[in-house]
Amino acid sequence: MKHPLLVVLLCLYNLAHSQNCTHTFIGEVVDFHDGTPMSGATIYVETLNAYTTAGINGKFTIKNLCNGVLTLTISHIGCETQQIQINVDGDTYYKINMEHHLEELDEVKIKNNSSKTTKTAQETVIESEVLKRYSSLSLGDALKEVSGVSSINTGNTIVKPMINGLHSSRILILNNNVRLQDQEWGIEHAPNIDINSADKISVIKGSGALAFGGDAVGGVVILNPSKIIRKDTVYGKTVFGGQTNGRGYNISSTLNKNYKSGWFAQVQGSYKKNGDFRAPNYNLTNTGLDSKGFAARFGKNKFQSGFEVFYSFIANEIGILAASHIGSVFDLERAINTRQPIITKSFSYNINAPKQEVTHHLAKASYYKRFQNFGKITLQYDYQNNKRLEFDIRIGDRRAIPAVDLTLQTHSIFADVNLDANLDRKFNFGIIGRFQDNFANPDTGVRRLIPDYNKYDFGAYATTEWRMNSNLILDAGLRYDFNRIDAKKFYRKSRWEERGYDADFSDIIIDETPTQFLTNPVFNYHNISASVGAKVNLNDNSYLIGNYALASRPPNASELFSDGLHHSAARFELGDIRFDKEISNRVSASYNLNASKFNLVAELFYNTIKDFIYLRPLDFITTVRGPFPIWEYQQTNANLFGIDINSTYKLSKHWQWRNRTAFIKGYDLKDDIPLIDIPAFNTFNQITYNNTSWYNFSASLKSEWVFEQNEFPDFNFEVTNQLNDSRSIVDISTPPPAYHLLHFYSEATFTFNKKTSLNVALGVNNLLNTSYRNYLNQLRFFSDDLGRNITLQLQFNY
Amino acid sequence: MNINYLNSNIMKTSKLFIATLFCLTLITSCSDDDDNPIPVLEEELITNVSLTFVNDADANDVVVLANVAPDGQEGASNNIINGSFTSGATYSLTLSLLNAEDADDVEDVLNDDIIPEADEHFFVYAVNGINLTVTRDSDDIEGPNGSNLGVNTTWVAGAASTGNVQIRLVHEPESVDDSDEFGSSTGGSEDVNITFQGVEIQ
Repeated sequence: MKHPLLVVLLCLYNLAHSQNCTHTFIGEVVDFHDGTPMSGATIYVETLNAYTTAGINGKFTIKNLCNGVLTLTISHIGCETQQIQINVDGDTYYKINMEHHLEELDEVKIKNNSSKTTKTAQETVIESEVLKRYSSLSLGDALKEVSGVSSINTGNTIVKPMINGLHSSRILILNNNVRLQDQEWGIEHAPNIDINSADKISVIKGSGALAFGGDAVGGVVILNPSKIIRKDTVYGKTVFGGQTNGRGYNISSTLNKNYKSGWFAQVQGSYKKNGDFRAPNYNLTNTGLDSKGFAARFGKNKFQSGFEVFYSFIANEIGILAASHIGSVFDLERAINTRQPIITKSFSYNINAPKQEVTHHLAKASYYKRFQNFGKITLQYDYQNNKRLEFDIRIGDRRAIPAVDLTLQTHSIFADVNLDANLDRKFNFGIIGRFQDNFANPDTGVRRLIPDYNKYDFGAYATTEWRMNSNLILDAGLRYDFNRIDAKKFYRKSRWEERGYDADFSDIIIDETPTQFLTNPVFNYHNISASVGAKVNLNDNSYLIGNYALASRPPNASELFSDGLHHSAARFELGDIRFDKEISNRVSASYNLNASKFNLVAELFYNTIKDFIYLRPLDFITTVRGPFPIWEYQQTNANLFGIDINSTYKLSKHWQWRNRTAFIKGYDLKDDIPLIDIPAFNTFNQITYNNTSWYNFSASLKSEWVFEQNEFPDFNFEVTNQLNDSRSIVDISTPPPAYHLLHFYSEATFTFNKKTSLNVALGVNNLLNTSYRNYLNQLRFFSDDLGRNITLQLQFNY
Repeated sequence: MNINYLNSNIMKTSKLFIATLFCLTLITSCSDDDDNPIPVLEEELITNVSLTFVNDADANDVVVLANVAPDGQEGASNNIINGSFTSGATYSLTLSLLNAEDADDVEDVLNDDIIPEADEHFFVYAVNGINLTVTRDSDDIEGPNGSNLGVNTTWVAGAASTGNVQIRLVHEPESVDDSDEFGSSTGGSEDVNITFQGVEIQ
């Protein structure tokens, strides 16, 4: 091969040049990572319009060159094609480093095999083609595309993801490699994410991804913006959406500017608004939403080094169902027994109390550099500012003052080293430091729900991935985290004594008022987490994954310090400063089949959690508003296990069937009762017609069947109206009956030219306008869930 | 092209970067001063509710039904009953709702908060086993939708009996009805729900 080419080359050279051109150029092509010679690399000599090939030692020679600039284009399978210019001055030698194995470095996406973050964890990737359907919705809604992921809701706009029955602090959310710090502890605190800013979302069940944190007892959600394309281009997309239910509308636009040099910039903005939603039979008064999101990033993305500066902002104003505002258990009992919302008004976009106003700023700067024969080093700093205002129904001029006013600021620094010189033995280690400051504004005139605190975290981790042979990959990881929480909390003296803290914690009192103690609790937690896993290829189209993960999660501020009335639940919630961390041991196994017509992913898991912290009713108190149940955070031992199945079957060229099923059980082992808020058995069946030749048209009908949860803890209680000694049961435990919903979705894409296209999507959710209530919606006591919703969305790509 | 990635310039840049990060963190950590937070005294607390019934014909015949909740709705409450009604007598009721969490600055919740927003509040009374009847006075404060709020009321004690008296304060009721004088409402949330047991007419 090599010699005839050189002959051609020489001939060309002789024709073109007549000056004294006798110099020789010797090039050597090597792998950037481990320095091995790359035989067979193709070299195109642009100046001469000729080709040559590198020999077995990676070397190639071009003879009879004149002094001057030589332009070479070097390519090799699996490498990024490189163009270099060499100044020939006499005989010249030059070493060319090829950037090898881009797929394995997760730098490029391979079709039909989305780049996963982990090898042996139960990970599912949601791509942008699916995400675009959720432009008008929230992160929690989109994640339900993954079997085994459900959501715990407060109404329809506060949607928290729940992975294998666990939620809130047990799930880590990473937005562009920044761990979200947004007061995730409460069920009514939705993650502050604008789904439109994500291009791809990975859901990892369990804590297999140790680089992100050791406390992911439930799982990890990773949101990534679009990958940087290294070429001179401008592109973008704009989405307009409208929906009948809530008379909602949304717009989102993204614009990218990229350069071949690696420089890039992206801006993205979105706005969504809806008024009162509607259940099949009535309006859901005060369920409006006003959401603004903005994100911008720029940087330089080269193979060998790069940096990124990223900023995102989100501001949400969320109305809470008016009928859910209650003052006493009698109000709650009336709400449950009337089966109708107490307040229904005509449609409005107005958002009144009770409502939430939450803003979240996230800024990060990151830098990476790859070193030859070594790997990649990444450094990152990020800052987050989360402000949460909750407005309650209040009296007089206090109406405009929030009842909750918390500002949580977080600074993190992070350094990560990824050794991938030997792709069969990858090592990754890093350290992270974090400082967090929570400020509870005293101007609310309501005692602080969460106290002022400073929190310090330090973590170090090491993970490794070994490719034993083409059919077996092993991985393992170890992580240590230190957490220190230093709080300043006021306790009512009556509560302090009632909790028995006077005996154990009298040394932390630093001040007192006539009715309250000011205390300075300082707690340290040492947490170890670990994982080991294996991936075995059974044959060309199936593999098995097995994984064991140990995770430790320290108690959060809410579990430690909660102390007060939770209005919408008509209960007291009390934390306990005696808590220690909870420790989860999770074993999982998956079978993955990728046959020509049939795809199947079956994921089994067993998660046993020691000192699992959860809230349950324990006592009663008679107050000026009548009797109230007292719910206390308790530590118990818990078991969760289940199976998630996702399968698709290609019926014919145009027809496809998909099923998604999840089954889970959860038990409190100390009291031998089922855990609360565990999703019932659910199964989704979807039939899709797709015709690529007709504007890529597709239409699908989806059946959502959620069973009744038969296993639940009986936390019902009896209240006595002292007036006439009448007793009534407040049934807060019995889950709502099973329901079946049908959803329709269709879309088509009209391509105008190579870069411009329009995607039109029409959907109908809850096609039959079925009335139902969802066990995992905290407002299920007060109203039905959403009725029929027709959505229309236009997406312009340009 | 000199491909030597471990050169000193890059190391310097990296060190500078790390140093900057640490500084940023330190600055923010250090600016956080160690001042103690100030206590919050609950503003919308109702710590003392009292119903004082005075015999129109005999100013010394007084019945007081009092409820004391030092932590307001955040804690336990106790009822205190002083005196008993005289059969056949007519009483005027004086209501008092206070926030006395700060003993030096007692707030009059009834007059400062509730009465100025009378159209969003409503008092509902109920009795069981005791022969008491109530009339909302003509000079009662106007409540929601032209109703009588239930602050100025007159009570008549019937035949000797013992039973329970309940007072509820409803905030933002959906509808109210005072046609039976005791009053009833739908919707809203209860700010007060107290039952005094064992009240006597002698």
